[in-house]
Amino acid sequence: MTNAADAQASLEAVLKDEIIRMYEEVAEDPTAEFHFYHGRQAAELFGYDPDWLDRAPEGAVSSFAGVGNPHERAELEPGETVLDLGSGAGLDSIIASWGVGPTGNVIGVDLNPTMCLKAQANAAATGTTMECHEGRMEDIPLPDDSVDVVISNGVINLSFRKRRVVEEMFRVLQPGGRISITDIVSGKQLTQSIVNDPKLWAS
Amino acid sequence: MFSLFEESGFKRVKSAVVPRFRFRQQSTQNSAEAFGVKSVMMTASKP
Repeated sequence: MTNAADAQASLEAVLKDEIIRMYEEVAEDPTAEFHFYHGRQAAELFGYDPDWLDRAPEGAVSSFAGVGNPHERAELEPGETVLDLGSGAGLDSIIASWGVGPTGNVIGVDLNPTMCLKAQANAAATGTTMECHEGRMEDIPLPDDSVDVVISNGVINLSFRKRRVVEEMFRVLQPGGRISITDIVSGKQLTQSIVNDPKLWAS
Repeated sequence: MFSLFEESGFKRVKSAVVPRFRFRQQSTQNSAEAFGVKSVMMTASKP
């Protein structure tokens, strides 16, 4: 590898640890204050149906750290297979499972295996099931053409390799499949000091 | 990000700003605005 590639790989490894740390902190201490809104307050801000938030387990709602509402335009149909990329504690997966019904299938992918276990437990508490795979969004652990819909909420911005993430979403979608995502974008090039600071990047 | 989707083969790429998104801390919000940081909703389909 070149020095630049080495440096990026090193930064990515540090970033992975920081992302895991930050989102575990949200899940473990949802009453703490972060510089982003989270939990029910954030979900209501983004227009999540209050009925969803009442029906979902408190652990899934309080750990919510999304940046919008990908369900608004997902138009899920019964029987569809949905990939929730960066599924966290599982709120979006649970809502998607209600959309696709018992004949559908929701698959979560998350960097953190602990969050996968939480998401599956939260889904089970609502009487729904989801499978969750530990994995990176740059290498989605699913076959080609295997899902109908990809939803995602505030995670693609965390990747240094966004093009690769988008290509992976394209790969796993069936022809005719679709995405409905919400994410953070920047209108200007971030300074190198921000790019090189895992704490700022992870947030 | 919009162009990444088009360049990767997606069609009917649409985006809209999430109007209610903001950071909790004003100092972070100010920095975000300075860099044009916003939350967007995107939809697209695979042909």
